[in-house]
Amino acid sequence: MGYTLVVCEKPDAAKKISEALSGGKAQRFMVEGVTVHKFAKDGENYVVASVQGHVYGLSDPFKERSVYPSFDTEWYPLNLVEKSTRARAARRLEVVNRLARFAAKFVNACDYDVEGETIGFNVLRYARPGSEHSALRAKFSTLTTEELNVAFGRLDKGGAGLARAGRARHLIDFAWGVNMSRMLTRSVNERTKRYRTISVGRVQGPTLSFLTSREREIREFVPVPYWKVHGRFGGENGEFDAECGGRFLVKAEALRVLDDCVGRESTAVRSASVAVSVMPPPPLNTGDLQKEAYRAFGFSPSKTLMAAERLYLSGLISYPRTASQKLPPTIGYNSILRRLAESGRRFEDASEILRSESKPVQGLKEDYAHPAIYPTAGRHPSGTLDAGEDALYDIIVRRFMAAFGPPARQEVLKVDFEVEGHTFRLQGKRTVFLGWMKYYGKYSARRDDVLPKISVGEKLKVLDLKVTERFEEPPPRFSESTLLEKMENESIGTKSTRAGVISTLIRRGYVGGTRLTVTDLGLSVAELIQESAPMLASAELTAVIEKSLDEVEEGKASDVPIVRDALKSIADQLVRFEEDERRDVPLVVGDVSAPPGVTLGKCPICKSGELRIVKSGRTGKRFVGCSAYGSGCRASAPLPQRGTVRPFGACQECSWPVVRVMLGRRPWSLCVNPACPAKGRKKIGL
Amino acid sequence: MTEVCVYHQEAMDRVKAAYPLWVKAYGRLEWKDYLDSVKRNVQTGQWVREIVTLLEGTG
Repeated sequence: MGYTLVVCEKPDAAKKISEALSGGKAQRFMVEGVTVHKFAKDGENYVVASVQGHVYGLSDPFKERSVYPSFDTEWYPLNLVEKSTRARAARRLEVVNRLARFAAKFVNACDYDVEGETIGFNVLRYARPGSEHSALRAKFSTLTTEELNVAFGRLDKGGAGLARAGRARHLIDFAWGVNMSRMLTRSVNERTKRYRTISVGRVQGPTLSFLTSREREIREFVPVPYWKVHGRFGGENGEFDAECGGRFLVKAEALRVLDDCVGRESTAVRSASVAVSVMPPPPLNTGDLQKEAYRAFGFSPSKTLMAAERLYLSGLISYPRTASQKLPPTIGYNSILRRLAESGRRFEDASEILRSESKPVQGLKEDYAHPAIYPTAGRHPSGTLDAGEDALYDIIVRRFMAAFGPPARQEVLKVDFEVEGHTFRLQGKRTVFLGWMKYYGKYSARRDDVLPKISVGEKLKVLDLKVTERFEEPPPRFSESTLLEKMENESIGTKSTRAGVISTLIRRGYVGGTRLTVTDLGLSVAELIQESAPMLASAELTAVIEKSLDEVEEGKASDVPIVRDALKSIADQLVRFEEDERRDVPLVVGDVSAPPGVTLGKCPICKSGELRIVKSGRTGKRFVGCSAYGSGCRASAPLPQRGTVRPFGACQECSWPVVRVMLGRRPWSLCVNPACPAKGRKKIGL
Repeated sequence: MTEVCVYHQEAMDRVKAAYPLWVKAYGRLEWKDYLDSVKRNVQTGQWVREIVTLLEGTG
């Protein structure tokens, strides 16, 4: 008798699924060092194996890195096309391939979304051709025993649209990236007469364009002055501040108010109090969670996604890659609330919600595959979470509870005073009923003003008056969170890919800093795109492709014409580039052929160059080098070859730059100076 | 007059366009003092600051 091979996307998911379906009786055995689970259920034998994320990727079979157009692409095991793919991932794939040979049936139990479906489809297709179509699909949103048993009790053949959309997206993105990057690289070579590889992807182009438009506004900003007039008033019930008439664009007018009002008495002429009802925020989807985690903890979108993924694999929350802002009754509101209430004092408000028998508020956005993110209220296997995961879990639970809360009520108070014909306004608000804000706790960002009681006709003393000069401010730089929101609003990228696109722009040195500042390299690449291939900066075109692929996902459209049209757009752009007579015009901004990399600060040796993180063309290893190398400065320093390295100020001992190395769960700081007196004290106290 | 790139030209146009607003705001303001104030202002954009330095140099 053969067995049913269950293919999972991650080892933790395979373990959870085996435990859930076997009632904890699954046997673990090793095949070439890879753990595989085996059990029998209802007379059927199951073997559960997992890969580790994407194990197949597209590649150009000719490997001529400068040749374009290149539309002949094929899927290959990732370990053959990407040096960074670990041997362990290749071994996992080999084990699945071997197990597939003897399997009688197949179940695709990868994450139920486009990427998961694509992973499962590719693994099955190349392991046992035909099985990708005959395989059954397990659809679940949490890794809880209850839901996994339900999911495996009603396996179906859905998901073909997802796989088609996923493969089409990969194909378009690969063709786009390869051809446009090669074209731009050639453009740089012709313009600068120096070799430099330029990389840009389908979503990166428009995203970089948003950033550079903002950067230009900031760099070209001329502040214009204005003035504000503030007064301090004293009445029967205390003192308070009020403002006169918004902005004064002429200084003399502001000073006239001051002259008119000093030493005079004011009268309250109008008082209005408005009660406002504040609805609870909708349940969290991926983008909302990333924005809230950035607002509350400063987590980058990719850090949030990684932590959420770990919470999901631990069975603590539902699937975190979702567009939905809805919580359907099928998730079992009461049982989740009951478990939360029983979990201790931290979420004791859950018992109050249970007693109220309320239903959660629902947002507008939907997702055909998964509900909004919610806690399963399960127990963490090891009983502890790291600080980041715990913080994220806390906000997810509280947002879930907040959805059940009644609207909060606030009172907005406005009082107008007149002094010699000039009107001053006191404005504030206070919360009179917490409602959902009680459950959302510190994350509700409530701010109450202390407002004195003032009646119309009341006389008030003008205690102090002052005119302050201010200047208009440039628009704020994007943070990772606001950029993510912009991408969402412009419908570019997907809930799963947006955070990665931002990280890629940072990794390539096009932008940097917490407040995303476009580097000269980023400005040069944006200019190059605008000059050579404006299509690459078009958010509209990318959004149209995303929308079409969404229709493929939902089974409403075929992927064939979408891929054909996208490839034609690329081909047309390449032809336009060949015909462009201006393609060798030098670029305006910066030097695009300058060495890449993050700038760490002034070189302490030559005092004129800048220390940068550079990559050796010969060995591929990164190190710190001086930008004045060409002028003879030989300052250099080794760097750790693994993990993310970011600038982190200057060393207090030797004034060389300090970098922060992010690897694993414990980042550390390192002075790059090999001869730093602080060496030996491995971790600098920063 | 020194030739500048399109971005610095845009910055220069903005510096010139803002001058009447500053004059109206303060009532009276010499061009030289205006440039000095813009250059010292923390909100001023990098390319504007560079173009102001250029304008100060060329009188």
